[in-house]
Amino acid sequence: MTTNKESRPSVTPPLSLAGLCAGFDDPVQQSQQVFRRALTALSEPGTLQTVPVSDTPTGINTASYQLCLALLDAETPLWIAPPLRTDALVSALRFHCGCRIVDTPGLAEFALTLPDFDGDLTRFAQGSHEYPDRSTTLIVQVESLESAGDWTLSGPGIEGVRKVRIAGLDPRWPGMLADNRRRFPCGVDLLFTAGTGLMGLPRTTRVEV
Amino acid sequence: MTTASLKQTTDTQAENGYNFAYLDEQTKRMIRRCLLKAVAVPGYQVPFGGREMPLPYGWGTGGMQVTATVIGENDVLKVIDQGADDTTNAVSIRRFFARTAGVATTESTPEASVIQTRHRIPETPLTRGQILVYQVPIPEPLRFIEPRETETRKMHALQEYGVMHVKLYEDIARFGHIATTYAYPVKVNGHYVMDPSPIPKFDNPKMHGSPALQLFGAGREKRIYAIPPFTRVESLDFEDHPFEIQGWDQTCEFCGSDHSFLDEVVTDDEGGRIFICSDTDYCNQRLNTGASMEVV
Repeated sequence: MTTNKESRPSVTPPLSLAGLCAGFDDPVQQSQQVFRRALTALSEPGTLQTVPVSDTPTGINTASYQLCLALLDAETPLWIAPPLRTDALVSALRFHCGCRIVDTPGLAEFALTLPDFDGDLTRFAQGSHEYPDRSTTLIVQVESLESAGDWTLSGPGIEGVRKVRIAGLDPRWPGMLADNRRRFPCGVDLLFTAGTGLMGLPRTTRVEV
Repeated sequence: MTTASLKQTTDTQAENGYNFAYLDEQTKRMIRRCLLKAVAVPGYQVPFGGREMPLPYGWGTGGMQVTATVIGENDVLKVIDQGADDTTNAVSIRRFFARTAGVATTESTPEASVIQTRHRIPETPLTRGQILVYQVPIPEPLRFIEPRETETRKMHALQEYGVMHVKLYEDIARFGHIATTYAYPVKVNGHYVMDPSPIPKFDNPKMHGSPALQLFGAGREKRIYAIPPFTRVESLDFEDHPFEIQGWDQTCEFCGSDHSFLDEVVTDDEGGRIFICSDTDYCNQRLNTGASMEVV
């Protein structure tokens, strides 16, 4: 049987190995280390985690890229916001993770985005009341993350309250986060990244501005 | 088979031929994604693709898969079985990870970064950064009341937990007090009712506001759930029958502790018995620091 490559619809950019961004040097240990930081980020919301410096496709935070390398594979559809969807990133993720890139945020298990995406957090999969785990985890690239600032966080994983500053979010974010928390047990979970910094905000965290 | 392959390995020698910590990377990623959802929805049981482990269900396959997934080369692992570091289950699992992951192991609670436990929470208070991994036989607290998974899911979704209070009330009607002494149901962060695994209810208060991350793995039932640090964990009770933990008139025979969970040990066939700490590390710590002298 012969296949006619020309007749296939080209829905994704061709996989280019030229200038392909490197993945982990030691995938087993580095995946574990990045995962543990993500686990701490989501179980202790508002704590600032950092990942080591590494090669990263342009336009993508090192922390975002390493989260993708550690957590994505052929089982996890990924949605990438159009401004971030470069050939370099798509090639690297297809090569290292083998993940599907989807066009509909609601079908994505993970989403890589900037804070100013169209619509609100309900664009993404929310999970159901029976299966709240079937919701999107967002990796949101912001300007900077600080473990002191004007936002007051409380909820599981926080002893009392925790102050944070997440720079680069537009004014609709406090409202979107409050709505997200109100939908519990449904809702999305957020991992904010800036450079090598990483901060988690699961759906249980109350944010007061 | 060559003589070389028959050569025995010791506890400290890592085995070749396995991926780090036994599980393949694909499985670890799947479990890791489940763990992230589990901490985001505290007390909710996340289904996961449980793998076959090289030991039978009931020996801690769920806990081992969680441990294999979170552990790294710099972690220090402690494994306890009913509080003891030196029983078959604990020794086997500790040796399993020493061989397949080459990680350091310890019997000391403060030194450990990951503690896998069967049915106890250590007496020594846990600290921030530690991870406690529970082995869970039956993760669904409503299972004995409602066998249908579709129904228990709806009950959790609607917080329809009246039947659980009826079960506790039946204890009061029959015995005059809540007679449930282990696997005592808790409510996590004011939403999900959760089975804390068959720990004695003596340990329930330690779950509330614990600085350590608590992860639960059920291998046969293929469920993972979690309690993040500093999370509200309330044991179910009634206003006129508040939750209370068991106590003993005796003290530990070895260290004299009057505040730890005690095991009764029969010493002869003439009714002789002693009470000893179930947590062997805690008992040894007290013996080494001379705490028993203060009591006597």
